Amino acid sequence: MAFKRSNIPGEDIRLAMEMTAKRRQLIDETPATPLVYEYGVNRLAKALHPGFVKAVIADKTPCSADCVKITLKAEDGGEFPYFRAGQFVTLSCKAGESFLNRPYSVISSPGEALAGKLEIMVQRKGIFSTFIIDEAPAGTELWLGEPSGDFHHDDIRDKGHILAVAGGSGVTPFLSMMKAIREGSEDFRMTLVYGARTRDHIPFDPDAFRGDGVDVVVVLSEEEADGYRSGFITADLLKEYIDDDTSVFMCGPDAMYRFVRGELEGLGFDPTRIRQERNSVGDRKVDEIKVFRLTVHIRDAVYELDAPNNETLITALERAGIPAVVRCRNGSCGFCHSRVINGEYFIDTKDDFRRSADKKFNYIHPCSTYPESDMEIDIPIMNP
Amino acid sequence: MDKYDVIVIGAGNGGLGAACRILNAGKTCLVCEKHNIPGGFATSFVRGRFEFEASLHEFNGIGTDEEPGSTRKVFEELGIADKIEWIQLKDAYHLISEEEGYDYVMPFGAEAFAKASGELHPDGEKCIKEFLALCRQIREAMAYLSETKGKPDPKVMMERFPDYLACGSYSVNEGFETLGYPKEIVDNLNAYWCYLGADGNNMTFLHYANMINSYITGGAAIPKHRSHEISLACEERIHELGGDIWFNSEVVKILTDEEGHVCGVRLKDGREVESRHVIADCSPHLVYGKLLDSKAVPERAIKLTNFRKLAGKGFTVFLGISKSAEELGIKDHNYFIYDTSDSVKQYESMKTIGNTAAQATVCLNNAYPECSPEGTCIIYMTTLFTDDAWSSVKKEDYFKTKNKVAADMIARFERATGSNIHDYIEEIAIATPETYARYCGHPQGTIYGYESQYYDGLMNRIQMVEEDRFVPGLRIGGGYGERLLGYPSSFKSGVNEASRTLRDMEKEGR
Repeated sequence: MAFKRSNIPGEDIRLAMEMTAKRRQLIDETPATPLVYEYGVNRLAKALHPGFVKAVIADKTPCSADCVKITLKAEDGGEFPYFRAGQFVTLSCKAGESFLNRPYSVISSPGEALAGKLEIMVQRKGIFSTFIIDEAPAGTELWLGEPSGDFHHDDIRDKGHILAVAGGSGVTPFLSMMKAIREGSEDFRMTLVYGARTRDHIPFDPDAFRGDGVDVVVVLSEEEADGYRSGFITADLLKEYIDDDTSVFMCGPDAMYRFVRGELEGLGFDPTRIRQERNSVGDRKVDEIKVFRLTVHIRDAVYELDAPNNETLITALERAGIPAVVRCRNGSCGFCHSRVINGEYFIDTKDDFRRSADKKFNYIHPCSTYPESDMEIDIPIMNP
Repeated sequence: MDKYDVIVIGAGNGGLGAACRILNAGKTCLVCEKHNIPGGFATSFVRGRFEFEASLHEFNGIGTDEEPGSTRKVFEELGIADKIEWIQLKDAYHLISEEEGYDYVMPFGAEAFAKASGELHPDGEKCIKEFLALCRQIREAMAYLSETKGKPDPKVMMERFPDYLACGSYSVNEGFETLGYPKEIVDNLNAYWCYLGADGNNMTFLHYANMINSYITGGAAIPKHRSHEISLACEERIHELGGDIWFNSEVVKILTDEEGHVCGVRLKDGREVESRHVIADCSPHLVYGKLLDSKAVPERAIKLTNFRKLAGKGFTVFLGISKSAEELGIKDHNYFIYDTSDSVKQYESMKTIGNTAAQATVCLNNAYPECSPEGTCIIYMTTLFTDDAWSSVKKEDYFKTKNKVAADMIARFERATGSNIHDYIEEIAIATPETYARYCGHPQGTIYGYESQYYDGLMNRIQMVEEDRFVPGLRIGGGYGERLLGYPSSFKSGVNEASRTLRDMEKEGR
């Protein structure tokens, strides 16, 4: 093959032989200015995803019979990461002997985060919420995880109007969305349909949010009052707020999801246009509570503890005061991804969001896994 | 025991390959990874009822069970080949280029590819056969150079590899110009340029020819359980061989002794681990700019690193679609969609946000129909930004900017293929340069390491690999390494640096 561009004999080969010498020379000629390894991209990535940061409880205000609004400030007085309205943060602290993490939807807006304020709503439920409400006065320091989760509006995926259906403390992500619409950081129309027993059980002021493309409809099940609907969130009620450009977002108890999904199905609503926030994986019912031995490796440290079969592994770890990483607590985010060295376990199909290779190579998310025998696992270190 | 023969920084392809190689030789090894899972970009993630591949489009060098390719052989040597289930891809790509009006599918296999090229131009078949013969010579020459450890017999080189020697200084465009093929044939051969991400004036002909030859003749495959399967296969092998991987364990310092030799690492939480040898699967920008004490870094290391160009910044849209590929009329697995086949023009237009004029798009179900529930499909579209445009995006604009780019890419794909996917998007995830920077720490969010520049191409890097090394006890492999970017390249680069580290240890008598 006549493969040469130069007619001078040997010229091509001479040029090829010079390639390394030329590179050497170019390196020689390059200035030794200090290396830049962080650019705007890297700084923005860090600002959006700083990992765990220290925060301080600045204020606590009761907002219903069993809910308290907590205002957080960054320890250094600076800004919180910008986020998508609807996302959650993880609060992490030592409560007694336990090391606890809990996810809470942010109720303040992305703009407020940049101004240094982050609000969450805590409903009295279990050990962590009780600790925050009763035993953590203003000034208490906490670790705060970065905003996470995909329960937010997406203008490519979702329609321009969101029918938001909420019950109980499930209103929290929608409070942030409504504030975000008002401040202009999110751009969609929204109708919030909120189910509560009586007016005393509403942890927000519905009137404060109406306008700017937002409507709020409160449905009371045990009370009748002017300006409120009464009864339940039925198909008849829902269809009033569904137009051709509607996606449904739901946040509340699993029973509400089942009921509303059934109602929407009856209306012929496209199920792929329904999104729901996932709830924490709690205890499970078992015929007989058995307590297994759990051996846990974190780097080269080894811990031994008891793990009952009705609780998730993460609950057992927390109870034993082992600093175990966890974020979503519903099996989906994979932050607590851990290796099973041996032992049997159970994961409910609806809570199993592991990758297919995780199943093949025996990895679990301890936040959604119950032990079924003695187990030995290797978990990642908590590294705030 | 806080002491290892070798510490590997980063559990990306390069780091995992390096660790397997070190452990296979009977040495002790610790891998420190800042994320909570192995793989770096070689991973996957779940959204709703879809599991998305994070980065891999196709893996070359796998070959078949009967005729294993070069990468599969490396996997076999390391004991991970049997842990991975491969799915062989049928066609090479579907090329759509607007300027020239191209819209056709090319098959894998030397014969089939040559034959299909005959339909693009009457001389196509002849040209491709000649081109692949040249590629074969290049491959054999490189194998000979490797066998002779870079000290070849000049007579043998002149006799057996004259064309290899002749084209050693050619850029891709100079090479094709010299070969004098018709435009249709050259444009088609340029289709893979986005896999290396440098334009045809900068990329060296040897590097590019070697890569497309591997695809065309050897075909490509994907792991059944996404690239996470490769990463977990490596992790399992590392544990089998007694190695350790620590997750959430970012190395913040490479420690050196008074003689300037590596003596260990410090982790973010302050813990120090001793070792005389470190293999870094991360950017030299980070290694020389941050991880090492400045007094341990010679001036030339800084000069070399400044000399190099950070390559393409990644952007990917992941879509879970509530219709099957068949219903959507999407027939192929791998699409290259360009404004123009002129890579120089295309590269230039990819510098700014707003010109998403090139995309490599995969419909996974057309290779692996069971990858998502029945009646659904997974599509992911990747583009590159050839300049640091995303560094000037403000945080308040970030979410809107990424959705704008993603919407443009989706519309572009629909226009090119005549399909409607927008109405059936059930899940969407978007990775920007910020996302890649977040997970893997790469400067500017590059996903391709250092660009394949004319003087920083494959052959120069291989030949100067010892010269490019400055700190005793430290070697750098992976996507920034001597074999450049890509799955097989970064993996092999890690393995190679591990082999060199083993030789270093031998020399030190340890």
